[in-house]
Amino acid sequence: MKPAVTVQDLRKTYRQPRRRTGAFGGLRGLFQPEYVELAAVAGVSFEIGVGERVAIIGPHGAGKSTTLKMLSGVLEPTGGEAQVLGFTPWRERRALAYRIGVVFGQRSQLWPELPARDSFALLRRIYDQPAEAFARRLGELAERFGVAGLLDQPPGRMSLGQRMRCEIVASLLHAPALLFLDEPTIGLDVTAKAAIRDFIREQSAREGQTVVLTSHDARDIELVCERVIVINAGRIVLDEATEGLRRRFLARKLVTVRSVAPRLEVEMAGVTRRPSEPHTTVLEVDTARARVEAVVAAALAHGGIDDVSVEDPPMEEVVHEIYAALGV
Amino acid sequence: MRSTPLWASEAARPWTREAFADLRAAAGAFRVGLTGAFTAWPALVGRVAFYAVCLMVLGAFWGKVGASRLPGTLATRLPPGGLGPYVGVTEWVVISVVSVQLRFEDEVRSGALEARLLRPRSWALLLIAEAAGGTAARMVAIAPAGFALLLMTGLWPGPQALARTALLAVGGAVLTLLVYALVGLSAFWVRRVLPAMLIAQKLMFLLGGLFAPISLYRGWLHALAFASPFAAQLGFPGQAILSMSWGGFARALAAQAAWAITLAIVAALACRAGVAKTLREGAS
Repeated sequence: MKPAVTVQDLRKTYRQPRRRTGAFGGLRGLFQPEYVELAAVAGVSFEIGVGERVAIIGPHGAGKSTTLKMLSGVLEPTGGEAQVLGFTPWRERRALAYRIGVVFGQRSQLWPELPARDSFALLRRIYDQPAEAFARRLGELAERFGVAGLLDQPPGRMSLGQRMRCEIVASLLHAPALLFLDEPTIGLDVTAKAAIRDFIREQSAREGQTVVLTSHDARDIELVCERVIVINAGRIVLDEATEGLRRRFLARKLVTVRSVAPRLEVEMAGVTRRPSEPHTTVLEVDTARARVEAVVAAALAHGGIDDVSVEDPPMEEVVHEIYAALGV
Repeated sequence: MRSTPLWASEAARPWTREAFADLRAAAGAFRVGLTGAFTAWPALVGRVAFYAVCLMVLGAFWGKVGASRLPGTLATRLPPGGLGPYVGVTEWVVISVVSVQLRFEDEVRSGALEARLLRPRSWALLLIAEAAGGTAARMVAIAPAGFALLLMTGLWPGPQALARTALLAVGGAVLTLLVYALVGLSAFWVRRVLPAMLIAQKLMFLLGGLFAPISLYRGWLHALAFASPFAAQLGFPGQAILSMSWGGFARALAAQAAWAITLAIVAALACRAGVAKTLREGAS
């Protein structure tokens, strides 16, 4: 099967006028302009399969949003090639628009003063969708994303979480095969973030949509994506499965023990205690120095244990480790 | 409706289908503008009140000028009954037209344009269509105030003149909207559109005959005003309520159509160049 996205040595260099100093600097700049070139993306190559959920991460200014803009067709590259669902995005922007859905976390595609239902109706005309199929699709998506009760409210009067759910519904109304999400959970509270992640993951699994996501929130990557591409200074520095990444960068496990006693003492080499609530003990196990089953056994030996869980450390720590390892 | 990957080869859409889809989307945006303006009815009421105040002030001014008929001034050439109805029409057009240039400026400067370019329809077309809907709502809301003025002053021009005026006023509003859109599109190249807007307003005032018919001008100024789009915007609709033959009406309509096509082409080219610049350099 053809990949959904193919990128070959994609580059983008911005050319910005250099500001001159001095009383006549502005005037000289008018007649003899000088430019500074900034390489935002310096040659990236990757493929994304149909139905894959991929996160593109990196520090601020790394080039991830620029990459996403080039792939969605709203920015022309300086060099390289890309194919998205068989289209060259910047040459066939209009045709590609029917096949992709895009959510920019900080930009709205809804009319703020218009009831969401009216915005969706206008989007139906914009995407030239048949009325009956559209009504069915809107009903399904509104139900799935929990916005059925919000359709008569203008987005301007919704909470950020409600508005983001409406934004995602809007991006899915024309049944796109590929979804680009740029910081979809930015500014949301914990509950809203969790709901958005669940919705995106379930939606993609249900309809086989390919998802390309950028985020600074490691939980977005952890809970939505199965693959991570790390970009720094315009280049790909890592491209790996989320699980593999976690294992490769953190040879650690977290053992959480809930006990009748307020605190458990487990003294072993390679085990450190993390701050936690009373009656809960969180132990970080360096798997190179201590075996997890030995740590669990030592904890159980205390008696009065209500619950034991063994987890990988959160993705946030993985990202932190990656950046530290790469010197980002 | 399950989404299936559609590849370029499967997705070609004939241009006729795209053109009709553009029109349907524009009609949808027009409706959004129309309902939006009626929903915000307090603002609409305020606009009607502003129109009434403008007419009272300007009507009184032209009444005074007309009554004194000072020799050697244009007052001697004023039509009987003064210029109240004329200014009523030109102000009806100007006060009704939505300031679409601000929307253009905002979307270009804030970078919101980027999200609009992800749609398969022309961003500028949808903005203008939405503004046209708002303009239509305002024209409908303000019209009764204009009728009231005509009735109160006893200068009722008759149904044919009213129909001609209404048609030319709609044409004038379309032209004004296009001029505002062009001003707004300058945001791709200049930091603020206000200076361009001030120039456009001065030209509408002078060459458009906002406060006085261009038929009162003499020599080159009259020729220049008559040949400009601004006369078709305001002067012709205003003239229609004073006196206009069927031949003059047909010429005015033809001039409006020609200017509408010209301005639409210029706006389309400016939009195309601006969008190309954004695609090349990125949004703000």
